Amino acid sequence: MFTTGSKFLIGASVVAVLSAVIYGIGQGGVMGTVGLSSAAVGLIGLTTLNLFLRDSNVFADDEAPVESSAAAQYAPSASVWPLGFAFASVVMAVGLVSYQPILVIGLIALLAAGTEWTVQAWSERASGDVEHNAAVRSRLSNPLEYPVGSIIAAGVVIYGFSRVMLWLSKTNTVVAFAVLATVVVAVAFVLSFGRKIKTGAMGGILAVGAIAMIAAGTLTGLDGERDIPVFETTAIWQEEGILHAEKYAEGAEKGKHPAELICESPEAFPEADKKASQTVAAKSGTFQVFLRENGSLDYDVPGNLPEGSDAITLIRSNPSNVIFRNESNEEARLTLDLGTETFEVEEGEETIGIEARNQVCTTLIEPGAAQIFTLEVDQPSFAFADVENPNGDGGDGFYFFVPGIEAATLQVIVP
Amino acid sequence: MFQNHERTKRRESETGTNVNKVKQPTLSSGVRAMRIAGVVTAGAFMAGCAQNAPQDTFQPKGSNSQMIDDLARPVFYIAGVVGVVVFGVIAWVLFRYRDRGQAIPEQTHGKPALEIALTILPALILIGVAIPTVGVIMALDESDDTECIVNVTGQQWWWEFDYPVQDGCGGIEAPIITSGQMVIPADTNVLIRGTSRDVIHSFWIPALNGKRDMVPGRIHTLRMQAYEPGIYAGQCAEFCGLSHANMRMEVAALSDGDFETWKANQLEDYTSPADGSLAAVGEQTFIANCARCHQINGMKDDEGNPIVARPDLQVYSGASPNLTNLMTRNTFAGASWDLINDSYRDTVWGASPDEFGALYLDGVSDENFNEVDLREWLRNAPAKKPSYADPEELEATDGLYRGMPYLALSEDQIDQLLAYLLERK
Repeated sequence: MFTTGSKFLIGASVVAVLSAVIYGIGQGGVMGTVGLSSAAVGLIGLTTLNLFLRDSNVFADDEAPVESSAAAQYAPSASVWPLGFAFASVVMAVGLVSYQPILVIGLIALLAAGTEWTVQAWSERASGDVEHNAAVRSRLSNPLEYPVGSIIAAGVVIYGFSRVMLWLSKTNTVVAFAVLATVVVAVAFVLSFGRKIKTGAMGGILAVGAIAMIAAGTLTGLDGERDIPVFETTAIWQEEGILHAEKYAEGAEKGKHPAELICESPEAFPEADKKASQTVAAKSGTFQVFLRENGSLDYDVPGNLPEGSDAITLIRSNPSNVIFRNESNEEARLTLDLGTETFEVEEGEETIGIEARNQVCTTLIEPGAAQIFTLEVDQPSFAFADVENPNGDGGDGFYFFVPGIEAATLQVIVP
Repeated sequence: MFQNHERTKRRESETGTNVNKVKQPTLSSGVRAMRIAGVVTAGAFMAGCAQNAPQDTFQPKGSNSQMIDDLARPVFYIAGVVGVVVFGVIAWVLFRYRDRGQAIPEQTHGKPALEIALTILPALILIGVAIPTVGVIMALDESDDTECIVNVTGQQWWWEFDYPVQDGCGGIEAPIITSGQMVIPADTNVLIRGTSRDVIHSFWIPALNGKRDMVPGRIHTLRMQAYEPGIYAGQCAEFCGLSHANMRMEVAALSDGDFETWKANQLEDYTSPADGSLAAVGEQTFIANCARCHQINGMKDDEGNPIVARPDLQVYSGASPNLTNLMTRNTFAGASWDLINDSYRDTVWGASPDEFGALYLDGVSDENFNEVDLREWLRNAPAKKPSYADPEELEATDGLYRGMPYLALSEDQIDQLLAYLLERK
């Protein structure tokens, strides 16, 4: 009546109960009594379960258990999803105490692993046929798994590739890309003309390549990007000249750059004016200021503005794209002078104000070339109506001017 | 059904009549459906019969909108005829070949001649529509014939109109800036240079032209012309945030003479209120509470320096309406509320082209001033026009407001401001 396992468990349960009683009465230790009692309860539970399952043994002459007993059921197949689920839970916990994006990634991984686990568990109970169950699972999950998995894999490989490219020097990037492209084309060429390669081997090659790329991306990503130098702009040089006047003057003495502020200088500055003009892509919706051959400034605006106006009107507090077209025979830059402004400079722990011209300018543009710059003027020109502008040919308010060409001034009105 | 049958039999036995022999006026389901469809159709047609519909796109009042109308109507009629024919054929086929238990007809593999014909015919119709459509699009895009330029700038949730210095518009020697109502000379091609300071808006005065998106960082042009003096309503036609529905605009077209008068008035020097008046107190209240954002040209501080508003430091779009000549406009707050009372508004909107200019130029006066809405606005603007005005929730805009915030003005201060603003003509 009792199976071998049942006898063992019944005995163990009795011993545990007796031990708990004796220890509890004889020694009076609470912790020990609780531990032995817990063991007794657990063993009694196991005993009950085993009595029901009868050691999972099936008698040879008993036909019914062939299909219904636990031993007759297929064991669940190995699954990676419980592991994934646990890992995702840990990622979520880490995210809770660190960064929200990690929490979100953990949550997504948790949902994905949970869903996969659920689908797999469900499919394994679909029928008694293992192959059929696997087919059911594939039919349900593959339409989602393949595209999503492919996107994630491609994304990781591309991200790894980008880290490698950003780690290499600018020159080596070109070389590396060319080599890689050549290898891909060469392999494709060989495959298309060579013997048929097995699918497994092809998959292996691709997997190794992907893993190598991910590994390289991880290493280079941890090492950081190459140094990308900040491109010197006229705004940086102008600010440097105003905020760090002494250092700027020292640089001028050493011949590193002209002595004047860049927006007031007709001379070339070492970095900011290098390869100044490029092809301007903006073709519509722009203001244009021309430096004519005779040294005068002229302008054009969107639409057919009736001729005769000597001033250009810009919209206040709104970005206006202005193309400077140099139609003269010499290099020139266009500067917009917006009156004086107080610039704040930190000196030790104090902040002091320096009054200086508020100017923005293009780089030095070669003859026949153009450059676009975007202007946003937040103050109206009438606020400076009584303030003479030294770059405005004796007038007041705001002016475009070209350093070094006296006649090249154009009044700017901002309502 | 069974209960009805039983009731009928009972009634027959009680009255001695045969109920089934009495003819009852019953409606078939088809007739009922036709009646419902008729009522719905009539309702739809009647909805198009509004008398007061200033934004009716089928009432062109300018050459550009007329071009659109001349194109849209024939296309609409052709499309209507095609639609009626197609739906008629579908209805006939459905009825004629409905399932009556007949045998399935012989299955064929199409009729090439019919299919080719049914491909070519729509193609020809579309080509016929496309040719004039392209022509009108090109014609609407022309700007060489414009004689006046107005910069139109959209922001949440109002329109600014500034007139650059130009020889056009009869000559403008100093910039004019206004909002809510754009004033143009009638029978003149006006070029709008439009842009936006924050999100995409769309400028649309249906009676004068089609829509044009106003996009930050870009300038889009649109030609505007009104045949006669009058006022024409519009509405921002691109969803632009919380108070998009309250972003309205109007165009007032004036005769050349009236337009000159309007320009001269806009460029008049600033006049301070009389000393000791309520308006003079209001001027100080304005400087203390409003001048940070709202510009009034010519206003100076005690030392004679111009008071310059810096809305770029307060408002996300970087701009607030210039109030220099507020009372020459008929509306405020994105043209959503009137500065004139209903009676005077009806008079202005219903005026003939000959009378319109004088009535419009009269502007707001003590007699026609609609004080109620402006008072409510000053009391609590965000309550009147939703505008993300909670100072605790401005993180997304770095502490900058979108629209006018609640200023906690006292009723006395509001009285002072109303007295001051009423003089801004």
